[in-house]
Amino acid sequence: MNEQILNELTAIFRDILDNDELVATPQLTAEDVEEWDSLSHIQLVVAIEKHWNIKFSSREIMKWQNVGEMADAIAAKVG
Amino acid sequence: MLINSLPFLAFFAVVLIVYFAPMLRGRAMWQNAWLLLVSYVFYGMADWRMVPLLMGTTLVYYGLGIAVKRAIDREQWRAASWVTTLAAALGVGLLLYFKYLDFFGQSIAAMLTTMGLHVSWTTLHILVPVGVSFFTFKLISYVVEIHREHIEPCNSLVDFAAYIAFFPTIMSGPIDRPGKFIPQLQRAHTFDYALALDGCRQVLWGLFTKMCIADNLALLTSGSWQSPDDFSASRLALSALLFPLQMYADFAGYSDMAIGVAKVLGFKVERNFNHPYLARNVAEYWRRWHMSLTSWITDYVFMPLNIAMRDRGRLGTILAVMVNLVVIGLWHGANWTYALFGLYHGLLFIPLVFSGSFGRNRKLKPRPNGMPQWHDLLKMLGTYCLVAIGLLIFQAPSVSHLWHYVCALARPSLLSVPSLGLPVFTYVGLAMLVGCEWLCRDREHPLQFIHGPAVSSRAVRWSIYYVLILCILLFQGQTQRFIYFQF
Repeated sequence: MNEQILNELTAIFRDILDNDELVATPQLTAEDVEEWDSLSHIQLVVAIEKHWNIKFSSREIMKWQNVGEMADAIAAKVG
Repeated sequence: MLINSLPFLAFFAVVLIVYFAPMLRGRAMWQNAWLLLVSYVFYGMADWRMVPLLMGTTLVYYGLGIAVKRAIDREQWRAASWVTTLAAALGVGLLLYFKYLDFFGQSIAAMLTTMGLHVSWTTLHILVPVGVSFFTFKLISYVVEIHREHIEPCNSLVDFAAYIAFFPTIMSGPIDRPGKFIPQLQRAHTFDYALALDGCRQVLWGLFTKMCIADNLALLTSGSWQSPDDFSASRLALSALLFPLQMYADFAGYSDMAIGVAKVLGFKVERNFNHPYLARNVAEYWRRWHMSLTSWITDYVFMPLNIAMRDRGRLGTILAVMVNLVVIGLWHGANWTYALFGLYHGLLFIPLVFSGSFGRNRKLKPRPNGMPQWHDLLKMLGTYCLVAIGLLIFQAPSVSHLWHYVCALARPSLLSVPSLGLPVFTYVGLAMLVGCEWLCRDREHPLQFIHGPAVSSRAVRWSIYYVLILCILLFQGQTQRFIYFQF
């Protein structure tokens, strides 16, 4: 399940962060990607919510520390 | 006790000898207890009446951190949120009481009086605790980080209290985050020669920028606010244009000293500046200026606001940026000029949000001869001028003083040659600072550069150290209080 989510996240990340070499791995953090800052983070959240048609609470979003935790949260919502 | 004074040197020597003495070395608990004791002594020497406040708030927030964790463990999410909100409200309340009560009281009374209701406000003359804006932010972030499950509560009250009161940073920051600092306290420290040496170099550079550049430039910039009409408009304009460099040399100089002292003790604290005047737009400037404050406010004010308003697109972002910058402005103190300063910077962000260059972080690429690209240089100069206008608002004692200053600028003497009256060395120092900013842009401080492969000769390195020490001894300006001590 998470493998599929990570693949789809890779496409979203590449589109929003405008970086075609980016691969969404579970360990990836904002510190590893130059283009991933506070503003693009919000754009990522909006794109993710739109893509899976889900909604996160502020607390859920603020809790994420890496892409793995992001993917887990998506998996929990998508079922 | 100023960090650039001889009494501090004596104090620090005692701290260091005991901290790495055989009976404490390798024992984190005792080292932290010693660190806590000397931090309270240091803070008490600034104002002993505020030590109970520091102790009391530390104790309360330590308890709040445990309460949040317990609520999370029991999956009582609402209770955890309530306690976190209480912690944030308590911190903001502290700041409101000590820094803003008189200001808001007087402002509301004045507003009601203009509406025909005669209300008077008796100034309370509240004593503002030294460093309250800095340690309150540390206290709040500790509880919020536990709530976000980024950290566990600290298992030792001594460690937590040492984090809050850590003497190199309690007066004027940098504002350390608990997730990075507390783990450093939890391991025993042995003397790290390489880190300590780098710390000493950073202190030396900080002393040079503060004492040789900022304190000398203060001769030009001080006094002009009291009676702007006594100076030519060109002198006022030059003073406004040089103030950003004075402010940078003063605050970054202090930060270098604080970070350097911490390194000698074996601690890595947050970076506060990343060559801010190499910024090519205002958004980049704020990513490089007073970074420990701006990243704090970005994480705890901008991000929650922007997340809450994420469906409103650019409008939501602009609103979040505006609130963020006004909060940064007002953090400095109770004055409408600080709010105006934040608002001014917020307005400068609007075109960046629309053009999409707000979040873009392009690396500086020099020309083949090592100099900046012309278009980058022009953008840097433009940003510098915008920042200088902002700092004019920032340093004005009041809005009416600001207006008076702007009127004094709009005189024919703007075209005259300004009389400077600055020691010649100030220009040499400024040229060194500006040159180092560009050449050492990938380093935390310029003296890291000369330690790298660029300068392989030990004799050259030591010559540079001696030249800097000589400059400090011969060309230091009249000692000025650190600008950021008032905040």
